[in-house]
Amino acid sequence: MSGQKPHPSPSGEGPGVGQSKTVSHSPTPTPPLKGRGYSKHWPLWVVLVLIALALVLPALLPWTYDQIDWDAVRAPAFSGSHIFGTDEIGRDRLARLAAGTRVTLMVAIAAALVSLVVGIAWGATAGWVGGKVDEAMMRFVDALYALPFMFIVILLMVIFGRSILLVFVGIGLVEWLTMARVVRGQVMALKERPFILAAEAAGTPPLTIILKHVLPNIAGVALAYLMLTVPQVVMVESFLSFLGLGVQEPLTSLGILVKEGADDMDMTPLGLLLPGGLLVLLLVCLTIEGERLRDIYS
Amino acid sequence: MSLYEIRDMAIQIDGKRLVEGVNISVEAGKCTAIIGASGSGKSLSCLTPFGLTPGEALGSIKLDGIELIGADAHQMHKARSRLTGFVFQQPLTALTPHLTIGAQLQEAAAQAGPSRLSRHELVQKLERVGLSRADERLDQFPHRLSGGERQRVMIAAAIAHRPKLLIADEPTSALDASLRGEIMALLDELRAEQGLAMLLVSHDLASVEGHSDDLIVMDQGRVVESGSTADIIANPQEDYTKRLMAATPRLTEPAPDLPAVGNMLMETEAVTVIFPRPGWRRGKIEAVVDASLTLSEGEAVAIVGGSGSGKSTLGRAIAGIGPLTSGTINWQGEVLPERRARSLAMRRLIQPVFQDPVASLDPQWRVSDIVAEPLKNLRPDLLRADRDGMVEKALDDVGLGAEYLERVPTSLSGGQAQRVAIARAIIAGPQLLVLDEATSALDPLVGSSILQLLAQLQRANGLTIIFITHDIASARRLCHRIVVLDEGRIVEMGDMAAVIEHPNADTTKRLIAAS
Amino acid sequence: MTAIPTLLAIILASFFLMRLAPGGPFDGERPLPPETQAALQTAYGLDKPLWEQAWLYVSRLVQGDFGPSLVYRDFTVSELVAQGLPISLTLGGLAITLALLIGISAGLFAAVRAGKAADKTIMMLATVATALPTFVTGPALALLLGLWLGLLPVSGRGEGWSWLIMPVVALALPVSGAIAKLTRAGLATVLKQDHIRTARARGLSETKILFKHGLRPALVPVASYLGPAAAGLLTGAVVVETVFGLPGLGRYFVQGALNRDYPLVLGVVTLYAALIILFNLFADLIYGWLDPRMREG
Repeated sequence: MSGQKPHPSPSGEGPGVGQSKTVSHSPTPTPPLKGRGYSKHWPLWVVLVLIALALVLPALLPWTYDQIDWDAVRAPAFSGSHIFGTDEIGRDRLARLAAGTRVTLMVAIAAALVSLVVGIAWGATAGWVGGKVDEAMMRFVDALYALPFMFIVILLMVIFGRSILLVFVGIGLVEWLTMARVVRGQVMALKERPFILAAEAAGTPPLTIILKHVLPNIAGVALAYLMLTVPQVVMVESFLSFLGLGVQEPLTSLGILVKEGADDMDMTPLGLLLPGGLLVLLLVCLTIEGERLRDIYS
Repeated sequence: MSLYEIRDMAIQIDGKRLVEGVNISVEAGKCTAIIGASGSGKSLSCLTPFGLTPGEALGSIKLDGIELIGADAHQMHKARSRLTGFVFQQPLTALTPHLTIGAQLQEAAAQAGPSRLSRHELVQKLERVGLSRADERLDQFPHRLSGGERQRVMIAAAIAHRPKLLIADEPTSALDASLRGEIMALLDELRAEQGLAMLLVSHDLASVEGHSDDLIVMDQGRVVESGSTADIIANPQEDYTKRLMAATPRLTEPAPDLPAVGNMLMETEAVTVIFPRPGWRRGKIEAVVDASLTLSEGEAVAIVGGSGSGKSTLGRAIAGIGPLTSGTINWQGEVLPERRARSLAMRRLIQPVFQDPVASLDPQWRVSDIVAEPLKNLRPDLLRADRDGMVEKALDDVGLGAEYLERVPTSLSGGQAQRVAIARAIIAGPQLLVLDEATSALDPLVGSSILQLLAQLQRANGLTIIFITHDIASARRLCHRIVVLDEGRIVEMGDMAAVIEHPNADTTKRLIAAS
Repeated sequence: MTAIPTLLAIILASFFLMRLAPGGPFDGERPLPPETQAALQTAYGLDKPLWEQAWLYVSRLVQGDFGPSLVYRDFTVSELVAQGLPISLTLGGLAITLALLIGISAGLFAAVRAGKAADKTIMMLATVATALPTFVTGPALALLLGLWLGLLPVSGRGEGWSWLIMPVVALALPVSGAIAKLTRAGLATVLKQDHIRTARARGLSETKILFKHGLRPALVPVASYLGPAAAGLLTGAVVVETVFGLPGLGRYFVQGALNRDYPLVLGVVTLYAALIILFNLFADLIYGWLDPRMREG
């Protein structure tokens, strides 16, 4: 959420008056991502290991995430084949954690990609065309920014049922705003760069200019913000699931697990602390990594 | 003894020596100037003694009898605030945006002592530096003032507490060319009036000539030459100084020998460019109005003006990379259409070169692809092998070897990057080059070598040139004729020598004074 | 100026969204007889054309009438809102104040100690804080301070003010982390600027430079974050009110949405939107104070 541009005041201000409130990121050449050492990227490794575990564990564990062990309800950790014990109706916690992480990350990545595509398309169009079109398009984004968007998403969920597709389309549609702003700022700045004008003078067609000159130069920043969108989306998805509006049972997600844990915390605190801790760990690692990328590229 | 005396100073940052063996002395009422290219250590040498850079100064620095090296906090504070005033390069950013002019002036004056100045005294201080409506200005925020006005405020604040030493770090470089003369004159006047010692830093030899008594030439962290300004300019001893002198264009140098001019090539008739104001507000900005000029084959014409005069907009309209609201551009009798309507053959005729060499090259592309870009589009008939040959030839023409083919722009120096940009401009065989401040962002030595290269290309390829600049002296080295623009209108036009000799328009006079 | 149309657009969008959906407020566990259904529809004006209903709704809204609740049948929406709004406002107001206090001081402290261990620690903590979702911290706090240590009430409004502590902390944590990061980054940018060097050249003390010349422009990004922060707090309040069993607006919203209580949901969305828009207008005023260049368009 950091690094956003200030909203224009109602009187508004167009492009070119950069001095005042448009804190546009100047496009920087994409530096190569090499030789930075693995130890500095521990958050990325944590995320990768968690993803690997979420993918592999379900195949290795004797229990599936929706299977009920009638002999072990609310089993403590390390009891028999249940490493983290079982929940209030006897389902294996570890299996549920793995399944939940998988669903949460899948939704997050899909929704982040939706936001990437919509954000780049919207932002690049506004920035490239400029003038009144840009003004109108960005005014729209500003207006949406000010909305209690989460409530609209909640309404959508309630109304159209809780399909997993809708979850990520809905979230992706909310989260594209920042991407659109960032991309637009980059394109605006690039458009004035002499090398774009030189390409125009060299007879390069506009579409080629966009594909060969503009997009490669915003790729780094877009990637950084994509990384930052993922934790945002994880947060939103878990929030919806927590309210009982996200993915549907028997499918599970980290948000659902937190909710179940919170409801049963006086009996088995582990049910809250495990998924809660895992969720926070994922969010922290993704955020650190995303912010590092952003600082490199902007 | 001098008021300000630096003996054998070295400056280091993080253990790295950036400046060594610097001696500077400034007398009361006199001005010592330091000149050097960027990275020569000139600003570092001026600001580090006062703790205004991350660097650490070693050696001996005496100001009004106080030794600054190893001085205690109290003495340092006295030296920095009471005895010294500072004027910096960027008037746009050097004032705090959320404090009024009056508040900042009051704060500056408070260095002399805790007594507050009356409003009347503040007004007098602003009036002294030539600001009109001074009373009104006191309550304004800096952004309401123009660049020149802000620099006057900076000067008023720098001397508000009656310091003994004034340090001016490139005080005019960020200002519009037509204002530079006025600001330098003001500084001279104040120095004489208050007996100030002044240390003036500049990258431009021409701008300190006539304003400084002593001169120090720096290069790569060392003093190359020092002595009286008049002596050094009349009779430079060191090789670097000589080259710097030769590289600095002056109006007094002998007229260059320019190639002969052929038939009429291009003619603009009443070219007008109007931009809509940004935002939803109504209104328009008239960037260029009714600009009519002619250009002959092999001729070089300078389009000269201050910032915002519309000179770049006019150049871009001619080159077909900027908008054209009305008017026509005729090319050998044939009308060139606006921007995107131009055919590839038409685009080939005119190529631009820009001010910022690094921003002119796509950081993601290799030099060979950058230079080949016009060929791919404008000469689709060529085979790949021919193209590669032409790229090498073009690089060779601008003095770069084949080893540059695989380089990326970030690994090039400013001068090398500008050469690559010129290679790209000439590779498809254009007839007209539009050079938009092509040498302004470069250090003097580099800029002059680019100017030389252009003169060479002008002769060898029979190129016609439009040279857009604020600097008449450098335009004179290349151009037959001059067109002076002010607020979008042509105010004067004619033969270069004749206009310099007898300028008519005020703008022209100011620009000549600044060169 | 854009506030009223924006608000109207939100109201209408929510109105039509709800009506386009299948299902209605009277689909209980057991279907009601058709006559009763029809009678209820007429009673609440649900049989009229959609546009007319929308028009009626908006025109009543202008007079301050949010209509009756369809689910809490003994109450009007205005009554429910009047009950819930103070709780939500108290939570949100305290949370944003706390977040600003903690965030700005932490950011300031980190910026002064730039590059040192304190700076790195604070920034790491801030990153962790921004990644703490209220629906995790809320229950976790309740578990730790409520159930295990027994210091604070777990649910509902007990005696005095202690019931506010956990909900407000859970709400404020992520926002304070974000504000700390923005303050730190803003100061890092501003302290490198030319006008700071000018102030330093005048021999001002570092403290004076920081507070008089540096802080205000550095807080511009914080001000621009206030709008999104307000929206975030309101969503967070939904969770916190659910977790801690507080009868605020958020609870009514979720209940209303799940039960298709159109007037209740619309009422809450309208209020939320109005609050956020108000907050953004407020943020615009703050901009102008922080940086006078923004006062003119």
